[in-house]
Amino acid sequence: MTSLAEGPALDLDLFSDAALTDPFPLYRRIRDTAPAVHLPRYGAWAMGRYADVRGALGDWESFSSARGIGLNDLANAATQGMIIATDPPEHDTLRNVLAARLSPKALRDLRADIERRADELVAPLVERGSFDAVADLARAFPIMIVLDLIGLPQDGRDKVLGWADAAFSASGPPGPRTDAAFPLLQDQLAYLSGIEPGALTPGSMGRAIYDAAAQGLIKQESCVPLMSAYVTAGLDTTINAISNAVYYFAEHPEQWDLVRQDPSLIPAALNEVLRIESPLQFFCRVATRDVELDGQTLAEGSRVMMLYASANRDERKWDDPERFDVRRNPVDHLAFGYGMHGCAGQGLARLEGHSVLAALARRVARFEVGTPRRRLNQLIRGLDALPTTVHAG
Amino acid sequence: MRIIVDEARCEGYGFCAEAAPHLLELDDEGELTVLTEQVGQDERADAEAAVRVCPVAALKLAP
Repeated sequence: MTSLAEGPALDLDLFSDAALTDPFPLYRRIRDTAPAVHLPRYGAWAMGRYADVRGALGDWESFSSARGIGLNDLANAATQGMIIATDPPEHDTLRNVLAARLSPKALRDLRADIERRADELVAPLVERGSFDAVADLARAFPIMIVLDLIGLPQDGRDKVLGWADAAFSASGPPGPRTDAAFPLLQDQLAYLSGIEPGALTPGSMGRAIYDAAAQGLIKQESCVPLMSAYVTAGLDTTINAISNAVYYFAEHPEQWDLVRQDPSLIPAALNEVLRIESPLQFFCRVATRDVELDGQTLAEGSRVMMLYASANRDERKWDDPERFDVRRNPVDHLAFGYGMHGCAGQGLARLEGHSVLAALARRVARFEVGTPRRRLNQLIRGLDALPTTVHAG
Repeated sequence: MRIIVDEARCEGYGFCAEAAPHLLELDDEGELTVLTEQVGQDERADAEAAVRVCPVAALKLAP
């Protein structure tokens, strides 16, 4: 059997300030080196090509999530039993609770309300003319929509966003960034554990989790991890998608013209924003057997970073991948992952994204942005501030 | 060749029906129906496209 560390290796630091600010040259080196590249700093492998990442995500029997999706033992232990860190049959039981509320069918009745609330948020911003596209738009909208849907009490909501950011970053490699994030992940879990089910809005997604436990569909101890899945996965991802959309349309006004001329392009435009700037950079899997990859053997037990953001810019898959083109409609991008663990909230994320873009397209002729400030997180790529001026028309 | 739907995995995104409307249909209840028992050679590319765009890998082609 091939030893765990045998095979093509690169001594890359994917988590320095410079790498987190612009990881794409490093991703390209990984893609150009081999299907899977050993990264000795992390005792892990990285998979960066579209076909391999998609293939692995579609093969949970060979690439397990149950040993954790992060790069450090503490976070992998703390997330044990969370839906992202399970395999069937546990995974399917938990997924059914989420899908019952998040599938496109379940979301249908929410559409009109979400579209109205997007309009009510966007109209006064456009009237103001200048705003921060991160704080005033991209954060404000999912916080309002998602936390209401989960049914969280008002008390404590202001902390939820910081915890969600940390809950992702805590799964990075051992080091100061992980040390700083991990206590906040614990704070999030303590906050969620402290919420009485009765304090969640009746009929909410959060209440449905506790109802499922009361009915014996899931174990009582699964409730807090599922709540964590909602409040973690439902925020930074959508927030970054919305602010990235504003940024890309400011930089590519001709693409915004296309969307305004033909609003049926909005779903394709959101897909393209997610492809070129995927909020989630990676989650890990662990090989459950020796896996053959294009002439290379990945040994059983190898922890492998699935680089979604790299796959979405793989030259082997995408024609001119650095080009932002709303007509491309890359419907099979991997920003939501793929397969069994494919983002359970992608229907809601799309609904939020489409509603905000439609509300902007009705009112905004041009975006102008100042220098964006990046938010450095070990798993999520996005902006912390984006000074924006819009010209109505 | 047939299109097989894993009903436990299908969550009703409907991208497959958009990719191949003559092969698959998502009804008002969000239930997916395969419209053709056998996929002909000339429909094979559409069937493959439909399988490809399923975000949760709920579709596959079988001989």
